[in-house]
Amino acid sequence: MDTELDRISSLPGHVLDQILSVLPIRDAVRTSNLSRKWRYKWSHIPHLVFDTQCISITSEDQTIVKNKLVNIIDHVLLLHNGPIYKFKLSHRDLLGVSDIDRWILHLSRGSTKEFVLEIWKGQRYKLPSCLFSFENLIHLELFNCLLKPPLAFKGFRNLKSLDLQHVTLAQEVFENLISSCALLERLTLMNFDGFTHLKINAPNLQFFDVGGIFDDVSFENTFLLTLVSIGLYVNGINDRNVSRGSSSKLLRFFVNLPHIRRLEIQSYFIKYLAIGKIPSRLPKSCVDLNYISIRINFNDLEENSVAFCLLRSCPNLQEIEMLGRPEEQAAVGPLADFWGDDHWKCLFGQLRLVKIAGISGIGSELDCIKFLLSNSPVLEQMTVKPASSEGGWELVKELLRFRRASIQAEVIYLEP
Amino acid sequence: MSDAGMAVVKPEMKSYIWLQTADGSIQQVEEEVAMFCPMICREIIQTGMGSSKNYAISLPQRVNPSILGLILDYCRFHQVPGRSNKERKTFDEKFIRMDTKRLCELTSAADSLQLKPLVDLTSRALARIIEGKTPEEIRETFHLPDDLTEEEKLEPLRNITDDPRIRLLNRLYARKRKELKEREKLKDVEVEEERADDRSVEDLLSFINGADGDSKGCRTSKNKKKNRRRKDQSKDSSSNNSNENQKKESDTLPSACPNDEVSDILAASPSRTSNFQDFDYADIDDDLDPAKMEELDREVEDFARRLNSDWPERMQEILSLGPERRLVSMNVNGSLRRYSGPSYPPLVWTGDNVRMLCPFKNLQQHECFGEDTARVLLLSDAGRIEAVIWCVSHNASYRLLHEDLHPIEKI
Repeated sequence: MDTELDRISSLPGHVLDQILSVLPIRDAVRTSNLSRKWRYKWSHIPHLVFDTQCISITSEDQTIVKNKLVNIIDHVLLLHNGPIYKFKLSHRDLLGVSDIDRWILHLSRGSTKEFVLEIWKGQRYKLPSCLFSFENLIHLELFNCLLKPPLAFKGFRNLKSLDLQHVTLAQEVFENLISSCALLERLTLMNFDGFTHLKINAPNLQFFDVGGIFDDVSFENTFLLTLVSIGLYVNGINDRNVSRGSSSKLLRFFVNLPHIRRLEIQSYFIKYLAIGKIPSRLPKSCVDLNYISIRINFNDLEENSVAFCLLRSCPNLQEIEMLGRPEEQAAVGPLADFWGDDHWKCLFGQLRLVKIAGISGIGSELDCIKFLLSNSPVLEQMTVKPASSEGGWELVKELLRFRRASIQAEVIYLEP
Repeated sequence: MSDAGMAVVKPEMKSYIWLQTADGSIQQVEEEVAMFCPMICREIIQTGMGSSKNYAISLPQRVNPSILGLILDYCRFHQVPGRSNKERKTFDEKFIRMDTKRLCELTSAADSLQLKPLVDLTSRALARIIEGKTPEEIRETFHLPDDLTEEEKLEPLRNITDDPRIRLLNRLYARKRKELKEREKLKDVEVEEERADDRSVEDLLSFINGADGDSKGCRTSKNKKKNRRRKDQSKDSSSNNSNENQKKESDTLPSACPNDEVSDILAASPSRTSNFQDFDYADIDDDLDPAKMEELDREVEDFARRLNSDWPERMQEILSLGPERRLVSMNVNGSLRRYSGPSYPPLVWTGDNVRMLCPFKNLQQHECFGEDTARVLLLSDAGRIEAVIWCVSHNASYRLLHEDLHPIEKI
């Protein structure tokens, strides 16, 4: 009679795998204690996730915690039976230890497709060379690691998604890595060292998200790249000689991004784009670009020029976000009449949404807002959020006066 | 869209698909709802079936009419394109509220129809049910048979091991559990008296430090126990149980190492059951209260941890105490001297002593423990002391090795 009531044990294997994969590893392994049928069901789960939520070890002593963690992972890996498609190791208490080397070696003998390793504490963990022999790898995510592949490394043939944060690798290693992973579609890089030139040669790349300190960024063969988010975390380029008489970074940046759809210019990246001669518009309009977000210092002439050039070259923008850098406003005197000049006419025929934030109500900011309002006939909403509540009332008074090309436009003032 | 050859009676704009479940019953469903299921969709497109009652699409066996109704409700909601994610999520959360049995059936049926979003939803729901529960709870929820042997439960992640010690311990545990059940039944019997332990400290220490074995002593103790039995029977059953337990251990211990010896002993042990019957207790079917078992679980774990950290100090403490608090053994004084070899007798610590070692609050409240508390067996082999702690819930068993005081825990 029990077997009639027991519906769950007879579910198809792949469904049970799915159920067990969603459980924290501890609960999944414990199902081996349920009944005869369940003894080895857990051992086929294709996803193994060892993170701080799945394994909680309460102990004061770090060594005990670490030993227990190592013990658990050893046990699970040894008793697991079947392919491991996804392996994630992200435990707070795990330092870069030789145990990880051993586990990676074990995985390299299988067909792991997704590998996530996050070292929360300690120095950069040097990845063993066997990691670079993961043939089937589709997604690789590393945090706080050092990559030094063997000389024979020819890239991850199947890699589609790469996420490197707080990593160290040499310049050539980086370039080779990117160019040898021919199927790469997504690239995320945050806080890296060891290389300063972002040479991106990736024919299948669609998503590119970078934040860090670098000197140069250049795209080659990136005709499928549609989403780019770049943040330069240092104010200005170190090498001042680079800025003088150099070719326009702005032009170089866009020359190989013909189909870009979303662009986020964060932190100080606009200063990078301001290097060299800033054209009044790009030679080829970015017709596919429908979203742009720019972090800008409204008082800086060069930055304003870059922003203006971009806006002029993207006729099909649907959404614009401009974020001020309030800490810099005081540095240079307010820029009078940059945007206000009537010659700067351009039409934002598709612009529906504008967000302005971090402003303090000075001249050039207001001019920019005025410029946008008077050139967007189908605008539906503009939100304005000042950096502080000082002068908020003045700002609102100004906003009230501006003419709007769109009769539907709502201008919404948000509290800071 | 099928129209011309359709035998649809209703003169509406909608077109219907006919589905037949394994029990023979046929129902009709709006076409767009039915097409949401990949399997039905394929059937329609590839074979053209489903357009009339005679050509109803046969659904897989796992889909019965009531479950089909549920699935079609799901499809009906989700196939509407305009819904927001939030709406869908709210619907899903409400939809998934059903008893476990139906949930399993739904998962199975959705899988056979290849309706992946529903399979994902139900799998997650089942996982949520399983998460955080103890094995007993899970078995109860899903009506799983409890068909693993004690052995297998002890070492759930390994194949049945040949280690004779483990087999030994398993038998001990099984018997101990039985005993404790017994005690539960007879818990209104008088509390066992504490017996004084007259062993000298040197004896104890020599025992711990592993002097040579003497198997003769075992047999003698057994005889001794038998004699004592008559006296003890009038007292509470726990002492009887301990006696029985002790005898069993002393008999089987010496053969902890070689396989065949063990099998001999173990084979021989059934004959001993006749002795057990002398003790005159009936078989009990009651299970111990699961909540209690869980607490015991936790207590023992705690105990293990504390023993691990406190052992050296505690040992000193105990040994330095005067005659008021003693370690007690079930044997009479004299016989113990013979247990000076590797085949050590178990020292059974009574409530007070254990409480001293592991001062956790709830111990006294455990009726199962009573005065004669968690059985800490000091077994040893080849000069090492092992303490074995087990508790009624067979999932929690720990071995402590004296030298490193390393608790061996299950995952």
